Amino acid sequence: MPRRGVWIAGAATPIVIAALLLLAMPTVTANREQSSTATAKVTIDNFSFRPQTLTVAVGTIVTWTNGDDIPHTVVSDDGVFKSKARDTDEQFSYTFDKVGTFPYHCSIHPKMTGQVVVH
Amino acid sequence: MASEGFLGTAAPRYADLVLLLEIAMGLALLIGAVLARKGKFRVHAWCQSAVVLLNLAIVVVLMIPSFYVHVSRNIPAKLGKAYYALPTAHATLGSITEIAGLYILLAAGTNVVPQRFRMTNYKLWMRSVLALWWLVLLLGLATYVRWYVPGVFRK
Repeated sequence: MPRRGVWIAGAATPIVIAALLLLAMPTVTANREQSSTATAKVTIDNFSFRPQTLTVAVGTIVTWTNGDDIPHTVVSDDGVFKSKARDTDEQFSYTFDKVGTFPYHCSIHPKMTGQVVVH
Repeated sequence: MASEGFLGTAAPRYADLVLLLEIAMGLALLIGAVLARKGKFRVHAWCQSAVVLLNLAIVVVLMIPSFYVHVSRNIPAKLGKAYYALPTAHATLGSITEIAGLYILLAAGTNVVPQRFRMTNYKLWMRSVLALWWLVLLLGLATYVRWYVPGVFRK
């Protein structure tokens, strides 16, 4: 019986280790993906987008943060993306997965304009 | 995309237009009051009626939708902020004033209102509504400034 127990343990150990590794792998992959995703920020301050023109690589997540004391929106001129009204310190994010120039504006204040250039 | 305004603020064109129209209507009501003092009651009636009805159209077509989209969803949670408090006060007092204006128009100019519901003191009613109207106009002006003029009330 002890010899059989040792045999079972010897066979089971690699299987358990392999299973643990398999479970761990997606997490590692996800973490790598997360760390490789580029991000960029646009600040809304005193009725303007800063920077007004942002150049990013394809796949970049752009986050707008409203630093004003009143609500603003972020709306693509071409209808590609559209946020609801964002109040003070609220954010809106969009992932740019296509190359191009994306002009946008605030629908409450049409003078507020900006653009994201994706290459 | 809404067109840019023409008053040099961040407002869209329709907001600039409404602001100028409302100021013009406020002045027209004052002129109408002067006409009544001069005894020109028929012109006075036409002037005040036109203002009340034009304002009703602006309220229904532009102000109520804007209030619904930008303000109502944040009441009462954000009433502490001037951005929401000013238009809420403007809308509340404005509704009372517009209804009172319509009542005067109907009671004084038509036979729609039953006799027992008619006012007896016309001057008091009309002067009160005129004073309220200007208060509402000032609240509307304050709302415009808060919403569209950069650099005012900054955080």
